[in-house]
Amino acid sequence: MKTLIELSVNGEKYELGIEPQLTLLEVLRDHLGLTGTKEGCGTGECGSCTVLADGKPILSCLALAADCEGVPITTIEGLAQGDSLTTVQQAFLDTGAVQCGFCTPGMVLSAAALLEEFPSPTDPQIKKAFEGNLCRCTGYNKIMEAIRQAACNCGQQNVQEKDK
Amino acid sequence: MSDLQFVGKRIQRKDGPAKVTGRAMYTGDLNLPGMLVGKILRSPYPHAQILNIDISRAAQVAGVKAIITAHDTLGIKHGFVETPRYPADQFPLAMDRVRFVGEEVAAVAATDPHTAEEALSLIQVDYAPLPAVFDPLEAMRPDAPEIHPSHPKVREPFQNIAGKTETSWGDVEKAFAESDLVIENRFESHLRTHGYLEPQVSVASFEPGGKLNVWTSSQGPFIKRAKLARTLGIPFSTVRVQKAYVGGAFGGKIDLFSHEYCAALLSMKTSRPVKICASREEIFAAYRHGQPLLVELKTGVKKDGTLLAQQFRVINNPGAYRGSGVVVIFLAWGFATLPYRLPNLKYEGYAVYTNNPVRAPQRGHGAPQMRFAVESQLDMIAEELGLDPIEIRLKNARRSGERLPNGDNVHNCGLTECISQSATHTEFLEKHKANRSAASANERYRRGIGMGVSAYFGGSLIYPNSSSVIIKMNDDGSLTMLTGAIDIGQGAETILSQIVAEELKVPVDEIQVIAADTETTPVDIGAWISGGAYVSGNATREAATQVRTKLLQIAANELEANPDDLVLEEKTVYVMGSPDRRLTYQELVSASVRKNRGDPITGEGHWRTMKDEPMHPSLATTKGRWSENYAFDAQIAEVEVDTETGVVRLIRAVTAHDCGFPINPMLVEGQVDGQVSMALGHAFMEEVLMEEGRTLNPNWLDYHMPCMHNIAQSEHIDVITESYEVGRPYRTKEVGEGLVSAILAAIANAVYNAIGVRLYSTPFTPEKILRALGKIK
Repeated sequence: MKTLIELSVNGEKYELGIEPQLTLLEVLRDHLGLTGTKEGCGTGECGSCTVLADGKPILSCLALAADCEGVPITTIEGLAQGDSLTTVQQAFLDTGAVQCGFCTPGMVLSAAALLEEFPSPTDPQIKKAFEGNLCRCTGYNKIMEAIRQAACNCGQQNVQEKDK
Repeated sequence: MSDLQFVGKRIQRKDGPAKVTGRAMYTGDLNLPGMLVGKILRSPYPHAQILNIDISRAAQVAGVKAIITAHDTLGIKHGFVETPRYPADQFPLAMDRVRFVGEEVAAVAATDPHTAEEALSLIQVDYAPLPAVFDPLEAMRPDAPEIHPSHPKVREPFQNIAGKTETSWGDVEKAFAESDLVIENRFESHLRTHGYLEPQVSVASFEPGGKLNVWTSSQGPFIKRAKLARTLGIPFSTVRVQKAYVGGAFGGKIDLFSHEYCAALLSMKTSRPVKICASREEIFAAYRHGQPLLVELKTGVKKDGTLLAQQFRVINNPGAYRGSGVVVIFLAWGFATLPYRLPNLKYEGYAVYTNNPVRAPQRGHGAPQMRFAVESQLDMIAEELGLDPIEIRLKNARRSGERLPNGDNVHNCGLTECISQSATHTEFLEKHKANRSAASANERYRRGIGMGVSAYFGGSLIYPNSSSVIIKMNDDGSLTMLTGAIDIGQGAETILSQIVAEELKVPVDEIQVIAADTETTPVDIGAWISGGAYVSGNATREAATQVRTKLLQIAANELEANPDDLVLEEKTVYVMGSPDRRLTYQELVSASVRKNRGDPITGEGHWRTMKDEPMHPSLATTKGRWSENYAFDAQIAEVEVDTETGVVRLIRAVTAHDCGFPINPMLVEGQVDGQVSMALGHAFMEEVLMEEGRTLNPNWLDYHMPCMHNIAQSEHIDVITESYEVGRPYRTKEVGEGLVSAILAAIANAVYNAIGVRLYSTPFTPEKILRALGKIK
């Protein structure tokens, strides 16, 4: 028995008829074609499926799509505007924090949420925010560096915006 | 060297923007019209006869489009190794017998995953269970259940021998008799998995005309094409394996896997695309992990620490089929003997079939296990002789130009520099001494420092053996590179582009890369034999050289100058000393088309390591050349041991490595850090737990991979021994897998330095530490 839901994803509204047991991850990938959100385990252990729900990181493989009605969802596709990358995305490239890239969408979104909450996070705050995002390639060193750099650059950006 | 613009530079990955924006398409992201979902039925028994398979009820489920069992196949076996001595030994679907829990028995294609699951549950398989054996030493006993007949060339009365490697030089018995100290130990390693984030996944789409298109998460499309074509009994020309981004592999995605074969055959049966994606639980419980080794090591030395002889007996447990089990026992010989001069050796290694899932290469492929044994014992010898860990390593370390017993040469070898520089950087000797004297003190937290040394080969001769690259110039003066190399995260496309950029003075951004497609790109050695930067890199450089030669010829004609007087700069060619006499690449392409009968300027390049060597070395005897370049490293671990809880923390890891010439230092650092982290997991956190062939912890909640809290402080020292010159072959070395090894041994040696406890098996659990300290029984 399908139910009709309305999802708000990356600022767009979608009306969908779905089976109620579908996860947000399944709906994003299979119904909306937003394949930037990855499935590494499907059981909430790896963080590859991280998306933002009202700005907070959640595991889309554990969330039912039907429960996300009325909650603005941001996926990796919703960050960059055209060719212009966000500060976090740019920092991941500058520092070499990307290797195979499978964890990257989740990492970038976790970073965006962290910096929104703590513009200058301490190392323990960074570690806490990323404890649910596994990466096998980098050893996390360059991801840590990327977040520090992004924090620094976000800070500068805020100052510049204030000056305007 | 100073005028290099692109190689040796920290250039951003070419695939970076696609990956940070979620645009990068991985195999699982592909959705083709009419695509079916495939699922695989696996054996619940570790060893059983298949008496009957009844698919009739499953076939009746609405939405089921095809079901395959062994009877739908040609019954052609495959194996990681397929040689006359070691023929293929595994059917893609079990024929009449299953030999491990999780072995593939049947597969279903259906319109959705739930229907496929339902159909699997309705396939009735009648099994007659057989006695099973899981431990390699038990499996070797003459009365053990026979999994496969023992290898006919192995003379000993052992059961279940999948293969044996045997080699020696000098006279170990004589050398032991002449030694001032002879020491004998046994070291054991444990079962770990690769932990690639992207699951194993394939999409196969068979076109009615006879073309089989395959996308699969792999480490090289050409070996997959070869094995798929062979097992399906169709020509290579009908199989096209194409690129998708690969979400990590670490050795675990090389072999042919049953899901690839089943997706292909199901698509051929239904003429519809079929996707099969393994669940994480399937990957943990039925796919291929690494290979723990039992290492018995006897070493004889002179009083001054000079190694005289080593005798190894290595037992490997490759599971129910050979997999790469017979490769590991060959490689283990090499990894054991590469870094130090060793005048006398006796080595024997056995791969023993057991009723466990099949095992695969895993980053380092035997090196961590062997270096753990050799380096641990070397520290024990040093202590016994009153030497320090640095001097005993420097005394025995190979130096530039040394010949290995198999005929290989280490060429420029930076090992002594790696040892000395890392020791100086960490104040190793001072700390080592201070920690030892504090080791008996009563403090709860104790510090320790330890060193390990390792070496790794850079490319060998295993199918497809070589790499070719084609570079096409475009009308606007930009370039397109066609390479079979696959980027699995290591940055292949980026470094190959840097080489083209350097040779032709074109920005990296303006080089289009078409990669890893068996139909449109030339062959590539693959991303598993540590030869990418060297073999594919030199092929790329050769192709670029051909393009440059053509550009210079046409420019010389157009500018009425001698080609030797021409200079390449920012997509133009000018006459030295007369920068106004200049033509753009766009103009040169146009001139070439006009004057060279339509040639738009293309270049091709080829490279094969050890060009005069007929084939790979013998897995059985180690005879024959192995590689033409070897990377060396010394790694230092500083640890803190909590003597109350037994928990050990890696507080600092220093890697001094001779990777030749780093084409992209930022990517090299990424490789180093990733390997240190993997070794940290190996040392303290990760173990696949099995009981009677069943996996007890098939998920990341119970199998603990390092997370951000376990980040290691990883420092790098580059010992650069090679250079890059435009227009000349270069000899760079390996950096992607050798560095998981020495650091593991360094950690064990650091624990000893901290608390005086010698660890003979991995992982280094709190339980082992506390037991050794006498705090628990």
